[in-house]
Amino acid sequence: MPRYAMTIDLSRCMGCRACMVACKVENNTPEAHFWMYVFRFEEEEYPKTRVWFLPRPCQHCDNAPCVKVCPVGARYKRDDGLVLTDFQRCIGCRYCEVACPYGVNYFHWKHPDKAQYLDYTDDPEVKSRTNNTMPPYRNPDADLRYGPEERLTAGAHHYRGVIGKCTFCVHRVEKGLEPACVANCPVRVFEFGDLDDPNSIVSQKLRTNPHFRLLEEEGTKPRVYYLMGNPPSPEVRQVMPVKGGKRG
Amino acid sequence: MALKVSRRTFLKGAAAAGGVAAASAFLYRNLETLAGPEGEARSSAAPSEEWVPTTCWIGKQDCGILARRIGGRVVKLEGNAAHPRNLGTLCPKGVAQISALYDPNRVRTPLIRTNEKGIPGQFRTASWEEALNLVASKIREAQAKGAKTVIWQKGRSKSGPLYDNAFTAALGAVKLHHGAFCSDAGYRASEYTLGLNGVLHPDFKYTNLLLSWGWNITAGGGNKLCWITFPRQLVEARERGMKVVHIDPRLHSAGPHADWWIPIRPGSDLALALALIHQVIAQGSIDRAYLVNYTNAPFLVQEDGTFLRLEGKEQVWDEGSGAPRPYDAPGVRPALEGTFQWQGRRLRTAFQVLKEHVQGYTPDWAASICDVPAEEIRRLAKALAENAQIGATISLGGKVLPLRPVAIHTYHLAQQELGFQATRAMAILMMLLGSPGAVGGQRVDFTWKIHANFQKFGEAKLANPPYNIWLENSEFFPINSNNSAIVALALKDPEAWKVDKAQLPQVMIIHMSNPLLAFGSSQDILEGFKRIPFIVVLDAWISKTADLLADVILPASTLEKYEGPLSATDQYVDAVALRLPVMDPLGESRGELEIYLDLAERLGILDKFIENINKELNLKAPNTLPKGRKPTPREIFDLWAKSQGLSEGIAYFERNGVWVKGEIPIAQQYGYAQDPPFGGIRHRLYGESLLLMQRQMQARGVSEIFWRDYTPLPTWRKPTMEQSPPQYDLYLISFKLIEFKQARGTNLPLVAELAPAQRLWMNPKAAKARGIKDGDEVWVESHNAVTGQTKRAKVKVFLTEAIRPDTVGLPHHYGDIARHPWSEGQGPGAAELFFTGPGYIANTADQSFLVKVRVYKA
Repeated sequence: MPRYAMTIDLSRCMGCRACMVACKVENNTPEAHFWMYVFRFEEEEYPKTRVWFLPRPCQHCDNAPCVKVCPVGARYKRDDGLVLTDFQRCIGCRYCEVACPYGVNYFHWKHPDKAQYLDYTDDPEVKSRTNNTMPPYRNPDADLRYGPEERLTAGAHHYRGVIGKCTFCVHRVEKGLEPACVANCPVRVFEFGDLDDPNSIVSQKLRTNPHFRLLEEEGTKPRVYYLMGNPPSPEVRQVMPVKGGKRG
Repeated sequence: MALKVSRRTFLKGAAAAGGVAAASAFLYRNLETLAGPEGEARSSAAPSEEWVPTTCWIGKQDCGILARRIGGRVVKLEGNAAHPRNLGTLCPKGVAQISALYDPNRVRTPLIRTNEKGIPGQFRTASWEEALNLVASKIREAQAKGAKTVIWQKGRSKSGPLYDNAFTAALGAVKLHHGAFCSDAGYRASEYTLGLNGVLHPDFKYTNLLLSWGWNITAGGGNKLCWITFPRQLVEARERGMKVVHIDPRLHSAGPHADWWIPIRPGSDLALALALIHQVIAQGSIDRAYLVNYTNAPFLVQEDGTFLRLEGKEQVWDEGSGAPRPYDAPGVRPALEGTFQWQGRRLRTAFQVLKEHVQGYTPDWAASICDVPAEEIRRLAKALAENAQIGATISLGGKVLPLRPVAIHTYHLAQQELGFQATRAMAILMMLLGSPGAVGGQRVDFTWKIHANFQKFGEAKLANPPYNIWLENSEFFPINSNNSAIVALALKDPEAWKVDKAQLPQVMIIHMSNPLLAFGSSQDILEGFKRIPFIVVLDAWISKTADLLADVILPASTLEKYEGPLSATDQYVDAVALRLPVMDPLGESRGELEIYLDLAERLGILDKFIENINKELNLKAPNTLPKGRKPTPREIFDLWAKSQGLSEGIAYFERNGVWVKGEIPIAQQYGYAQDPPFGGIRHRLYGESLLLMQRQMQARGVSEIFWRDYTPLPTWRKPTMEQSPPQYDLYLISFKLIEFKQARGTNLPLVAELAPAQRLWMNPKAAKARGIKDGDEVWVESHNAVTGQTKRAKVKVFLTEAIRPDTVGLPHHYGDIARHPWSEGQGPGAAELFFTGPGYIANTADQSFLVKVRVYKA
């Protein structure tokens, strides 16, 4: 059984947010839901200003607060480390959202078709180009039960009334592919692999680079490791936040 | 400023805030979710999966794409790993453009205007037959009035050989470039000085010190490649040890990739470059061998500023004989510097003239102009000299080549009044260090092929009036970048600009362009272009230009078409690609090539078009297009692929997307490795022909405002904007966001969501002094120091410590770019606040995107 982890090289990131968009297309997330989020930070004052960027997916914690508070066992941690959600069990209480110090959970208030970006009312011309269906694409892989646990994962379908969050693209990982954010990054900020394999790219990166994890003092034991750089201090200012929606 | 929040909560970023809501009882069934394919069971039994290669449609660098198709439906776009430029990745726009394929807001049928122009359009749908017949009849009417009355405005043309060359030549149309928006003054300066078409960029494999000057290295790429490639090469170079000096009023353009930020005052770049030239000469850090052998630095200049020519040949001072000799005489030993008396004449080498010219341009002089400490300028000059390693060589591919690992990366910096000369000064700085064409040194283009403008500009020929609509070779702009903003001015007052009345445009074809937002002064463009009786726009959406100005809109497809050929080189590997349709075009939209073929047929110029295609695509027998029959786009590219030596034709691209030909040989990569080096030209340190142009302009009585910057050596003067009254106390600059770098990307909801509204970037100190807080709505009022005109726009403020306190900035590509729910109401476009016309354009007719403004609460 692998022990999956992600590394994020802060010395490479340009803050372009392509990972946010790659995640959105892969997972069909509705407006204002960002399973991957890239902070743009400023520190200090002109002319000593420092600008830097920090991508933040779900941290897939080993000691995940969201798993502990889930009253129905919908939020669970797999043996390989992925933290996922059984959408059939989720009752939409949002305890996980409150418990998570990283803010990675998004509740589906609306019908997911109505929270998509363009108004795809029944349009015969679009349908004629899309195999007689309407966007967005409903990826059947997202409905499958995965892993030895054989459980549902709350992937790309966004059931109304339940919680969604980054799955490390479990439906891709199960096929031997990298998560969408990792695969698409133009400057190779991310790596994904097995901590138990000393030859994996993440093991190599962690051996050869200084690294930290976000809010380690919370005891969450994240599986996301940041290479180079330092944890954001409370003085860091977020600029150009993405709030979501048309006039966000 | 962003709120400070506790460490525990701030990482929540964009997550919805809120307490615990009552638990909803959505239990095990009937959860509402995305609609699946009709009648299709929710299972993994997906219908057929295929990957269709194509090429991105948005940006300028044409990244390779693989479209994932499930049951014939495109569900995702991913980067093509085989494509040298993007290696399997895509930028935010590239990923997001999948929405364009199915966008219900696209133009799906031809549209014909039913109301007056200048206001939002009312259109009726029309058949292709009707629309094309109308366009053809208007073109015929126009051409009956005069041969050059049809003009073609390009935007991001994606097939220069087919559209810009073959079609417009068959049509006899006057071409307007997408032009000055894109740093053309820098292109002209490089063509003039080094003979190469491009602005300045490094050799990322070997450069050790990079001056990232005035442009977005992390958010914009470079002049030759827009994104992904240059940023990736930048990251790799920095990990190898390259240092980046970022010279820009704004830090976000380099972010954490700047090792040293020099926040220069807007518009003072020429002064800094001159001070660096002064300092490099004062330090003696100059590459004498390069300057003597490959530039005109040793040429003898007479008192009147012209070269000494004997029997038509430029002369150098031969140290052997102590007399002038032709620069290329065998055995000649040219002096690089010195003043010589010869036959009663005082002769100086061009280098000597430069040395004296920059004598007063000291670091202390530049410090107050640029607001950069003199010590920092001296430190930079020292770093340049140390890193240039003058005299060092490296062996590459069996050749021993000079190693000068210092270079400048600049691009949109040229979009300022002094842009031509500022870029020239930067090139001269690099020339002094021996950097052009050396390993790790200055690059401009991917080839060392000498551009035709090198010779043309050297001839200093001015045409006599009347002029064509873009004032080509005119006494106003002897070097001219074909800027549509100038066209608009000429349309408004043809007499003042001495335009040939017989050439006033009757029909304009706007090809995937949005001039109202793309060129300086939206208002001027609107007023000017309104005078063109008939305008046809090819676009995928109703652009603002189409909305206000189009008589006919022809629906163009996006990724659903054949287009190319498209270069796929990353500057080290040679490759070529095609754009291939990933599905049938939405609605009745069609590729531009098909539209032009149909139009050519109606105009009776199909055979001419075909003949031009054969020539422009270099189609070779037996793979040429026969006349008398309209070919399909696929057939054209099939014959092209076969003519290129790919026996399977277009099928090769349908399988692979890109044809990677292999590493570019060292012999082609470096100017020094050419035979003869640099293609046999002498780089122009001294611009004699600029002086000759200036004298002709003076002789014709042209106003000083046009000729003052035609100087043989870059000469500092204060930009016109500095004459604005003191209440206009801020500089307005413009730039691009990576999310929003191309206008055709702004209708993509996924990128529009990332940057949904225009913001004025402002330093908190400047804001505080004006009682302005983050998010406040303000008026930005710009002032034209020549005409006294003012303009204003209302926008919300974004406070950032990463911009000079005397500078505010607006990103481009806002301003209701099209009729689209995601782009309407985004706030003003930057072009609404800039000016066009003398004082706000470069001496090469290029737009300046600099102006003085005042900002006050709305």
